[in-house]
Amino acid sequence: MSTFNRRHFLGSSLILGASSLLGKEADQKIITETKNFVPPVIAFPEKKPLKVISDRPPLLESPRDIFTQPITPNDQFFVRWHMPDIPTYIDLNEFRLQVQGAVETPLSLSVDDLKSKFEPVEITSVLQCGGNSRKYYATSGQATHGVQWGHGAMGCAVWKGVRLKDILNKAGLKSDARFVGVNGLEKPALDETPHFFREMELDEALSGELIVAYEMNGEDLPYLNGFPLRLVIPGHFSDSWVKMLSEITVLDQYRKTFFMDVAYTVPDNDCECVVSGGDFEYKRKPIAAMKVKSVIGYPTPNTIIKKGSRIKVTGMAFDQGKGVKEVMISVDGGKSWSATALQKDYGKYAYRQWIYQWEPKTKGEYTIMVRAINRVGNIQPLPDEIGWNAGGYQYNAVDSVNVKIV
Amino acid sequence: MKKIILLTSLLTSMAFAQVSKPIEMPYVDYPVETGDHDEVVQQYCLICHSFGYILNQGKKSRPYWTGTVQKMVNEFKAPIPKEDQQTIINYLVKHYGYEVASGH
Repeated sequence: MSTFNRRHFLGSSLILGASSLLGKEADQKIITETKNFVPPVIAFPEKKPLKVISDRPPLLESPRDIFTQPITPNDQFFVRWHMPDIPTYIDLNEFRLQVQGAVETPLSLSVDDLKSKFEPVEITSVLQCGGNSRKYYATSGQATHGVQWGHGAMGCAVWKGVRLKDILNKAGLKSDARFVGVNGLEKPALDETPHFFREMELDEALSGELIVAYEMNGEDLPYLNGFPLRLVIPGHFSDSWVKMLSEITVLDQYRKTFFMDVAYTVPDNDCECVVSGGDFEYKRKPIAAMKVKSVIGYPTPNTIIKKGSRIKVTGMAFDQGKGVKEVMISVDGGKSWSATALQKDYGKYAYRQWIYQWEPKTKGEYTIMVRAINRVGNIQPLPDEIGWNAGGYQYNAVDSVNVKIV
Repeated sequence: MKKIILLTSLLTSMAFAQVSKPIEMPYVDYPVETGDHDEVVQQYCLICHSFGYILNQGKKSRPYWTGTVQKMVNEFKAPIPKEDQQTIINYLVKHYGYEVASGH
C-alpha cells in the first residue's frame, strides 16, 4: 500500500478515545512542531542517565547510539509505565504471582517457586513500545497523538524464566478456559481509573514461546523494567509484556477494557491505517506482531566526519520473528543502495546487527538510509509511503541520518 | 560532589541487581507556563501524570486537546468539573497548541 491519498491523511480526524468528537484537522495547516521541548537527561534508579519524557509515570528513552550493541544493557534499557503508583520496594518473601480464574488449582507462586519448580528457558527478544519512533510520522505527514518518542523506546535482551504454558498447565485449565488476562502491581492514582489489564487468546498463551521472566541479561530485572517478574511475548509489541506481573487470570470470556479495546489499537483493515476519514470511525484492532524495521546506531544525526575516514556504519534490524533477510543501505539519500553485512544471529526474535564500511571521498552533506526486508518479503516502507494512524503506532519506515563530511 | 553521588549510585547498581531498599524516584521539575489558570491545570493533570506528558507531545490543535481532556474524564475518570475542563482546554491550546485555521 504505497499510494494513499495524502490529503485524506491530513484531513483525518485525530480524536483518540473521544468518539463523540470527530472534528476535522485543517487540510492546509500541517503543524508538526514536536521539537520545541527537549526532555532532561537524568539517571533513575539502576539506570544511566536517559531522556526523561516523564518522571511520573516514568517514561525514559534510550539514546540512538544504543543501536550499536545487539544486546541492550539493562541500565540503558528504555522504561515505559502507564500508572503513577508503582511500588518502590518489593519484598520477595512476600511477593506472589497469583494464577486464578478458570483453573483446577489456583496457584500462589513465589519467585523461588518459579526458579525451583519449573524448567528454566531463555530467549533473546526485542522489546518495543507500540508508539516507538512515532515522532517520525510528523516528518512526512501529520503528527500523531501521544508523547513523541524517537527510536529509543526499544531494546533487545536475553530473557530467562518459565514458560507461561507450564504455569497454566500446573494450575490445570478448566474446560471453559478461553482467554488469559494479565496484570501487574502498578496502580492508578484514582480507584475509578481502569487498571492496566491485558488479555490474550488461550492459544497464544499456550504457544510455548511466552515466558514469565525473572532474569534480564543474566541479572534480576531492573526495578523499572518490571522486577521481579515480567511477561515476555517474543515478536510482539510490548503492550502485553506486563511488568511486576502479579496476576494471571484465566477467563471463560473476553473482558472489554480500555487498554485492550481503545488504547493501543489501529484500524482493522489490511494496511492497519487511516485511508480516509477519522481513525476512530474504523473498527479497532489491538496492535500485536511487530513489523520489519531497521535503525541506524552510528553515525548519529549531524555527526561531522573527516573526508577519507573509514567509517563503520552500523545499526540493528528485526521483525516479528520471521527473520531478517537483508538490510540495504544508501549513502546518497536513496538514489543507490548497497548490501550491508549481517552479523551474528542471536535468534529470530533478536536484533540482527548490520555493518557497512564507508569511506566518504568528497565533502558535503550526506543522507544515510537503511531498509530491511525479512524472509517472508516484508520490506520497510519509505517515510512518504507509510500508512498513518492517529495513535502513531507501529512506525517502521526507512530510517535516515544526515551527516557532514568535511 | 554531584559527580561523586552519581558515580556511587552507578557502582551500587552494578554490584547489586536487586534493590535492597526502596528505590527513590527522581522528581523532574518540568517547566510550566504560568497564567491562564495554570493552577487548575496542575491541580487536575498532575493527579495522574507529570507535565512531561503535555510538553513532549508538541503543539496540538484545539480539537485534539479537547478530545484529550475528554479522554481523561471519560476513560480515566479524572474528577474535573465541566467549567474546569474548559479552562484546561483553553490553557493547553494557548500555551501548547493552536486554533484550527479556517479558510486560508
